[in-house]
Amino acid sequence: MIALLNFRSGVPVYRQIVEQVKAAAAGGTLRDGDPLPSVRALAEELRINRNTAAKAYAELEAEGVIETRAGKGCFLKAGSPSPLRRSVRAERLAEAVDSVIVQAHHLQISPEELTELLAQRLQQFQQQQANRPE
Amino acid sequence: MPMKTPPVIDIQNLVYRYDRREAVDGLSLRVEPGQCHGLLGRNGAGKTTTIKCLLNLLRPQSGSVSVFGLSPGRREAAIKERLAYVPDSVAFYPWMTVRDALDYQASFRRHWNRQIETELLGRFQLDPRLATTALSKGQRTQVALIGAVCPEPELLVLDEPTSGLDPLVRRDFIQTVIGAYQDAAPGERTVLVSTHLISEFEGLIDRFTIVDHGKAILTANADDARSRYRRLRAEFGNDAPDASAVTGARTLRREGRWLELMVNGEAESVVAWLQGEKAVRVESEALALEDIFMAAVGTKGGLP
Repeated sequence: MIALLNFRSGVPVYRQIVEQVKAAAAGGTLRDGDPLPSVRALAEELRINRNTAAKAYAELEAEGVIETRAGKGCFLKAGSPSPLRRSVRAERLAEAVDSVIVQAHHLQISPEELTELLAQRLQQFQQQQANRPE
Repeated sequence: MPMKTPPVIDIQNLVYRYDRREAVDGLSLRVEPGQCHGLLGRNGAGKTTTIKCLLNLLRPQSGSVSVFGLSPGRREAAIKERLAYVPDSVAFYPWMTVRDALDYQASFRRHWNRQIETELLGRFQLDPRLATTALSKGQRTQVALIGAVCPEPELLVLDEPTSGLDPLVRRDFIQTVIGAYQDAAPGERTVLVSTHLISEFEGLIDRFTIVDHGKAILTANADDARSRYRRLRAEFGNDAPDASAVTGARTLRREGRWLELMVNGEAESVVAWLQGEKAVRVESEALALEDIFMAAVGTKGGLP
């Protein structure tokens, strides 16, 4: 699993890993049941602290994205996340949206321009999903 | 209610002055168990002197030092049994092979994990029969690190682990060793790494203390610091205004129509001020530890 970390993004490292695993799952690079590297292997690959890698995996597990099988390691969980986690997911999204709103403000991008940009990117994403090989 | 675990290292207002050289001038530092704590500072900032006080190589002139809740002055042996120290220049007896050097280290320790030793020697492709004099600087550091983690101490103190290494040499091995060390007992293994090469250790550090002129300038959690400190670049139609009176901002550069500021947390009010001064463009960027460090030790007035 290749992940790129940006220490200049203002986003906590563990959070970046969580987002990239989720993006990989959404984009099809990681498929249901695929194994993830061990905490130690991930830490070495990304040149980060093992605590950070462990935190990322704990978060992914809490969000129902991955599951640990005793003695075997971590795997991408099959199927969509359980409805019980919906509130957690909504909360996470709200955090991400807030961060985008603040960024837009700093860059002097108007609310209208922001909503237009969002519509554009969403359309692009949906097109990519439709074109994804099964 | 669970008892809070005491810090592994607790230094309060440490003072140690030499006649002319590096001094520690009222430094406080607390390292919690299970963390990888970075002691960041320029050469001569007081990092090595601080470490020497932890090891009882120097006696504090004032202030207090405690390791595992014990005083290095009174309980030196008890402390040293539970930690391992790798100095910035590693030396071996010249007639020893790698095998000899490791066995020699092991002879001083109650416990030695042979499995880790074999694993790491294999990973680094180090032939134990090699003479230590035949090793490159990087290989010597590898042997020293292996010798430090095999006794499985509670605390690992590394002083400038990458110093003297050729910039092209892959430094991942430090990562590998620390990873093996902490992964075996997460929460119980603590690392204090002292360095002036911040970007090398950016990802590895949980928490850090920036030291300059013998004082601790900032102690923070790495992720928190990276999300709080931001750099703002503003372009103006005419000469950039003077921002020295703006609260919450430090001027990094002011050249012609450009102004570069650093803010901590509340970027809103500073951005509002910039817009009030008719900035034509404002760019905002979060900062890496390296940037924060450079600003802390380089900027007049320090960090915002």
